[in-house]
Amino acid sequence: MTERVGRAWLLLGPALAVLAALFALPAILLFAVSFWEVRSFRLSPALSLAAWAGIWRDYAGLAAYTVGIGLAVSALTTMLGLAFALAVRFAVRQGDRLMIAVLITLFGGYLVKIYAWKSILGADGLLNQALIALGLTGAPLQALIYSRGAVIVALVHFLLPFAILPLYAGLRNVSDTAIEAARDLGASRAAILWRVVLPQVRGGLFAAIAFTFLLAAGDYVTPMLLGGPGGTMLGQFVLLEFSTNFDWPAGAALSYALLGSCLAVLAVLAAVVFGAGRQP
Amino acid sequence: MIGRLLIALFLLFLLGPILLVVLFSFGSSALIGFPTGPLTLDWYRALWNDSGFWVSLRASLVVALATAVIATLTGTLAALGLRRLGAGTARLLTGGLALPVLMPPLVVAIAIVVLVVRGLGLPLGVPVVVLAHVLVTQPFVILILLARLERFDPAAMEAARDLGATEWQAFTRVMLPQIAGALVGAGLIAAAISLDDFIIASFTLGGGNTLSTFTWGKMRTTLDPSINAIATVLIVLTLSLSAVALRLARYRG
Amino acid sequence: MTAADRAGLSAMADRAGLSAGADRAGLSAGADGAGLSAGADGAGLSAGADGAGLSAGAAAAVAPLLRLDGVSKSYGTMTAVAPVDLSVAAGEFCAILGPSGCGKSTLLRIVAGLVAPSTGRIRIAGEDVTQLGAERRPTNMVFQSYGLFPHMTVAQNVGFGLSLRRLPPAEISARVAEALALVQLDGFGARMIDRLSGGQQQRVALARALILRPKVLLLDEPLSALDLKLRHQMQEEIRRIHAETGGTFLFVTHDQGEAFALASRVVVMNGGRIEQQGTPEEVYRRPATRFVAGFVGEASYLSGRRSGGVVALGAGPRFAAPGPDAGVTAMIRPERLRIAPGGLPARVADVQFLGPTTLVLARLPGGEVLRAALGDPQPGLSAGDEVRLAWDPSDVWVLDD
Repeated sequence: MTERVGRAWLLLGPALAVLAALFALPAILLFAVSFWEVRSFRLSPALSLAAWAGIWRDYAGLAAYTVGIGLAVSALTTMLGLAFALAVRFAVRQGDRLMIAVLITLFGGYLVKIYAWKSILGADGLLNQALIALGLTGAPLQALIYSRGAVIVALVHFLLPFAILPLYAGLRNVSDTAIEAARDLGASRAAILWRVVLPQVRGGLFAAIAFTFLLAAGDYVTPMLLGGPGGTMLGQFVLLEFSTNFDWPAGAALSYALLGSCLAVLAVLAAVVFGAGRQP
Repeated sequence: MIGRLLIALFLLFLLGPILLVVLFSFGSSALIGFPTGPLTLDWYRALWNDSGFWVSLRASLVVALATAVIATLTGTLAALGLRRLGAGTARLLTGGLALPVLMPPLVVAIAIVVLVVRGLGLPLGVPVVVLAHVLVTQPFVILILLARLERFDPAAMEAARDLGATEWQAFTRVMLPQIAGALVGAGLIAAAISLDDFIIASFTLGGGNTLSTFTWGKMRTTLDPSINAIATVLIVLTLSLSAVALRLARYRG
Repeated sequence: MTAADRAGLSAMADRAGLSAGADRAGLSAGADGAGLSAGADGAGLSAGADGAGLSAGAAAAVAPLLRLDGVSKSYGTMTAVAPVDLSVAAGEFCAILGPSGCGKSTLLRIVAGLVAPSTGRIRIAGEDVTQLGAERRPTNMVFQSYGLFPHMTVAQNVGFGLSLRRLPPAEISARVAEALALVQLDGFGARMIDRLSGGQQQRVALARALILRPKVLLLDEPLSALDLKLRHQMQEEIRRIHAETGGTFLFVTHDQGEAFALASRVVVMNGGRIEQQGTPEEVYRRPATRFVAGFVGEASYLSGRRSGGVVALGAGPRFAAPGPDAGVTAMIRPERLRIAPGGLPARVADVQFLGPTTLVLARLPGGEVLRAALGDPQPGLSAGDEVRLAWDPSDVWVLDD
């Protein structure tokens, strides 16, 4: 028995080594750096809370705002993803094939998708062209792009597959017989959805919410290309602190502040998703 | 009926923007929009003549290949190891190994840069990129392999041993052929993720370009639709890798 | 008239009854049942509302609780259920018996309202429910795979139907406790479903359906997932619950033993059609078709010809049996054969001591095989020996080919 277990750890060795060297260690170091100081453009180890105080002063509002956008994107994406997953699970046959179509878009085209939205939402972009052609507006709508709306749309579009997949996986595990039994006992379609189906996919629901929230809150490329002055997010300023200001402690502190806020929000969400709706 | 309409609209929303980019890469007008003008390969020709494109393509392919090989190795071994552990421990470890994917890539990349440059004093470059990519792709390899291994009948291995095979022979002649599809599929997925990655590469590459960072450069500096061409190349590469991978790994949810 | 003639007559009556409507068949089955089940063998038919078979006939004469008229189901060119007439009396325990794919589950789901019939009407307590969906019908079903709600406790599962009808929580708890007591799961209310054994899950599924006091309880092969010992146990449980509640049960199974053990009325289906309806005894001793004969038990089959009201078997014996001139097959159940000096000569092919009986397979000179289940062990008998096997004339059942 212990020989098996010993062998297991040996097999896990390489993967864990990568994890330790490129994730755990850097994370610890980065955390340490957040307590360092920058004197005359040189980074020096220290134990100071200056960086943390600085980011609280400068970025607290933006942090809240970023978390807000993350939640909005997560909520939208999860709801749309749920609608889609339910439709595929219950309204069609060969749902698995459709899921492959969705999966394929998962790994391709992060930059491309953002660029596509730029082309669609821009002042001379497709949407404006269509609106003008249809006579719905005289001049191009400037507000479509470089706004927080554009950021949200692009993020929802990119993150939809990330939400759909865990939701569909969860729905697949709901037995058809249980649903038939619920019908037989007199449940309406709404009752079946709310009391039999959804409670069984809490896991998938949380995975979708958490994943989309984390990825949205941490993104910087989308707000950079589509956000304009009104749609900035925290990620952009992490980049700023590191690359332009060379203020690594500030960047490190900001990174961890971002992570910390995200985790706090997720803890609350977990309580809601797993605690809500306990039936009598 | 509503269900089908919903699904159709969804797929339109999901795939539409990508299809548009592909479409306009063949259009001859200088601006994005209808009418596209006669279809042309001009933008592709421009790309073909751009040496920067070829250099970055080569770098991307090298990184993707290395990532695929290494991540498949570490991930498969990890999956084989996880199978032998108790459910609770296995779940904990899988979660831990998956953490790098859940964190914002920005932070992951920056932390690596800080360690390599400041902590170790080493230069950035392709090796760092490859290792960083392995970090974020091995969880996917692990998940794919775990799913495949679940459907694998352990009695087959025992039968092989009973018939006289050593552990190594049993592994190479009984298990390996059966999981080969999943292995290759996982490798291709890792390659696709590596090719598509922009954020991590832009931080850890140091000098030079991968296809993604090259695309980014173009997006920042020019407005011409050749961006559509290069974007299309990127999409085609990653999508075909994903498609082949899914077929091989016989995705079943 | 010999007993064989009488038996032949009622077979014809049964078959006639089938095509004209289930009621008449029920009547003649009842009339015969009173006579034949005086020595009620096996099956313990005494429990339940049917008594000695008399009330089956009496009940059928009153309006049936469940009535299917011309119900059929086709999927494109494939016919799952050919037009079928079926009546089930109140308080009856009716089993639909048949092989996989014979349409029995489809028929049950049509009654439940989960499948819409292609033709026909379904009436429950006089009311036409054909257009009603499963949600509104006064039926409840126990599913083969139970269909329990994994995210709820036992009490929540059982009380689900009541909570949908918005009964006050106090009343729900009381009735849930009552239902759990009925299936002998007192105290299990707070457990989660995945902590229960197969048999316990079965009972939860039963309680969940029964608590709603359906007019007809439908059971779709609910015991097929259990191992043998548990199955027998649950069969007794279900019989007890039927007796206690006095409800009307419609039960689908492919297991002949199970159908006989539980039901007072058996409906044998094959290929989408009902081949015979009757008490277990009738179906066993006077099967309507060769299929029914073979499905409900083992037998020896001897071919012959009937002309002028007399059957002459290829193997030799002749006996009177009214009916048209035609090729026929004589069926004799294994327990009806015995070794006797005046019997047919045959050569033993195999002897198996099974415990309570000894199975002897013997081949007649003409090639046909006799299967005998003898009560006494046959230590001296082995393959190759010559034996003589005989039967009472009243134990032969004649099937038209």
